[in-house]
Amino acid sequence: MPKIIFRLFLSFVLFVSIFVLIQRFLTPDSFGKYGHYRAYSIDDNKARVSYYKGEEKCASCHEDIFDLKDSDLHSEVKCESCHAPKIDANTDCEVMPPIVEGTIDFCGTCHAINLGRLKKGAPQLNFKEHKEGQNCIECHNAHAPWELTE
Amino acid sequence: MQDQYQHLYQALSQVEGYIYPNDIDLHWGLMIVLYPYITGLVAGAFILASLERVFDVKVLKPTYGLALLTALAFLLVATLPLVSHLEHPFRSYEIFMTPNPTSAMAIFGFIYLWYLMAVLLLEIWFDYRRDFVIWSKTSTGFKKLFYKVITLGINDTDEKSAKLDNKLGYFITVLGIPSAFLLHGYVGFIFGSIKANPWWSTVLMPVIFLFSAMVSGIALVMVIYMVVCWVRKVRIDMPALDTIAKYLFYILIIDFTLESLDQFHRIYEAEESFDIIKVLVSGKLNITLLLMQVMLGTVIPLFVIGLFQIYKPAEKIRKTAYFIVGIFVLIGIFFMRWNVVIGGQLFSKSLSGFTSFKAVYYGMEGYLMAALWLILPLGILAFLLWLMPPWKKLSYHD
Amino acid sequence: MGTDRIKNNRRKFFKTSAALIGGTIAYSLIKPLEVISQVEDKPKTTDNKELPLWGMAVDIESCVGCGKCAEACKIENNVPEEPFYFRTWVEQYTVKNDGEVKIESPNGGIGGLKQSVPDEDIFKSFMVPKLCNHCSEAPCVQACPVGATYISPDGVVLVDDSYCIGCSYCINACPYGARFMNPITEVADKCTFCYHRISEGLVPACVEVCPTDARIFGNLRDKKSDLVKFLQKNPTQVLKPHLNTHSRVFYNGLSSEVR
Repeated sequence: MPKIIFRLFLSFVLFVSIFVLIQRFLTPDSFGKYGHYRAYSIDDNKARVSYYKGEEKCASCHEDIFDLKDSDLHSEVKCESCHAPKIDANTDCEVMPPIVEGTIDFCGTCHAINLGRLKKGAPQLNFKEHKEGQNCIECHNAHAPWELTE
Repeated sequence: MQDQYQHLYQALSQVEGYIYPNDIDLHWGLMIVLYPYITGLVAGAFILASLERVFDVKVLKPTYGLALLTALAFLLVATLPLVSHLEHPFRSYEIFMTPNPTSAMAIFGFIYLWYLMAVLLLEIWFDYRRDFVIWSKTSTGFKKLFYKVITLGINDTDEKSAKLDNKLGYFITVLGIPSAFLLHGYVGFIFGSIKANPWWSTVLMPVIFLFSAMVSGIALVMVIYMVVCWVRKVRIDMPALDTIAKYLFYILIIDFTLESLDQFHRIYEAEESFDIIKVLVSGKLNITLLLMQVMLGTVIPLFVIGLFQIYKPAEKIRKTAYFIVGIFVLIGIFFMRWNVVIGGQLFSKSLSGFTSFKAVYYGMEGYLMAALWLILPLGILAFLLWLMPPWKKLSYHD
Repeated sequence: MGTDRIKNNRRKFFKTSAALIGGTIAYSLIKPLEVISQVEDKPKTTDNKELPLWGMAVDIESCVGCGKCAEACKIENNVPEEPFYFRTWVEQYTVKNDGEVKIESPNGGIGGLKQSVPDEDIFKSFMVPKLCNHCSEAPCVQACPVGATYISPDGVVLVDDSYCIGCSYCINACPYGARFMNPITEVADKCTFCYHRISEGLVPACVEVCPTDARIFGNLRDKKSDLVKFLQKNPTQVLKPHLNTHSRVFYNGLSSEVR
């Protein structure tokens, strides 16, 4: 055959072969196992650190507070709803206790009056009319809100 | 760290209406505007060359070689804005290794490789091979080395081999036309297939991209031809230039029709996204779309060249007009890409609000970078024209 | 004669090579079409009925817009605190008496949504939590050029942090605005249903902290789960159903103003 075509054809075949070889080499091992992705990524995604431990973990040490909370309306609210774990490798309560200030701003995130939330379970208050300038926890026990300290 | 967020805080203060919180930042900026622009120039320049080779428009002979080399120069630069935009450019080989068959973007690597090597380089090689052999005998230094190497050892200069070169070159050009369509059509499909974005999602998107690519490529070759002739101090072949302008006119009509059809259809159907798009076009895009893309880039060129089809003024006037019109078209098509890419991200997927585009001058997404990517191919073209001047060719395909 | 044989060979060669090249091109043109046609028959990765199929229901009638879900999500998943990156957020819709709809989500609702329209102008108002819908026909998975985002066998749309090239195509492809480019890891990021938690039998952080049970998480294949019972009892909708993403986040009480 004409030299040109033979050499071009040869280079084409060579190129494709080298390409396929490199492809075999560079494609990650677990790729394609479950679909068009690296299957080990599923394990990577599972291996992340959890910061929220769940109420049971809190209750295992703070049983008395948990029982108190259980006896009143905030039983519906989980511990970590208000006491967000601080991020720092692990959320050891002794090392980084998630302390919360019971200010109007804080409690208002659920309880401030907003016509968008009137139907719901959380009692709504207009904090301009209800003890403006004070902190909620001066009168309310956060874990038993209807137990007023007055 | 704070200054990396500063432009986002600024954008946040300039939000109009409601945007999904994650829609504050534009992810595709100037670099992604450039990529379709550059590949469009490549596809368009190639189509102009193929007009001569395949469709026998003999009057375009003076621009054939120039068009091919222009296409090559721009194609070599095409990937660079794309790769520089990635967060992890060193992982970009993954597109070759594990391309996702459902993703339009995954075709990129393969179509680029195919077009560069199997189409453009081969066609240029077949066209120049005989000249390389002859030139290698009469030149010295770098050029001599280059010519000797590039012939790949096939040194026949007889009639038979010339005929074979011709036949193969023709075959490659025929193959190259759908390849050029694919090279730029898939970019249009990348946008047109995103159902999440109503500004992008239209069946016409690949076709519009293709025709605007042809328009920009033809205008580019027209302008470069005039500049090269001026630099070389040779007379411009007016029949060739008039014909290029004529083809520019025809394809611009088709492009304008398609784009108008798209807009008109939107206005008529006025479906869910129309309310926000109406505000987008008349507001944030009013200058870049209505003024730059439509008025400057389409209406004025159409009017001027259209006028020349009926009444042909003197050569000097035509030359100046063509040059200005060519520049206008190039600017207009750039803004067409801008309006698609940036425009589509200015409004939120909530269809209820707008964010803003931050113009930067420095950095990877800045104007200076864009200028570099546009000037570099011109530099490469100058080098190629020095290395393989089309006007010094001793043989020509028939 | 010698020359005849050479000519014949050359002709045969041209014929065979043309046929080969033509065949290759034809095949390479048809092959992609095959992929498109196989969309219906292709086995899905979530077809294994032994595994759970995770989903979520959002009860708009219960959401008070406290934003604790958005806050907890950021803490649990190391999402930057700046107000530009959210795996989940809450929106407040205020429909005014004149028909105008005001939508807000300042800092994604973290710190609680505040009423911004005077009482007398309000026709109705409600809160809508948003998150990744983990679509069974996710347009983001379809768009990823390298296979860095995918649907896990148990139905969660995840991102492969070590494989993503950061092209942002998936972010543009998501109709719900659920994805963002993480400025620290420099890869695409989104809600993962707290995959690391649900694989250990826990619930996602947003579900954990919601004080009014507005988010119900569960296994769509478990007929006894709270989620399935909720879906059975309430008429639910998905967001942007016309886009046919087969979203697995269902909203109860979705009003037509919701975008």
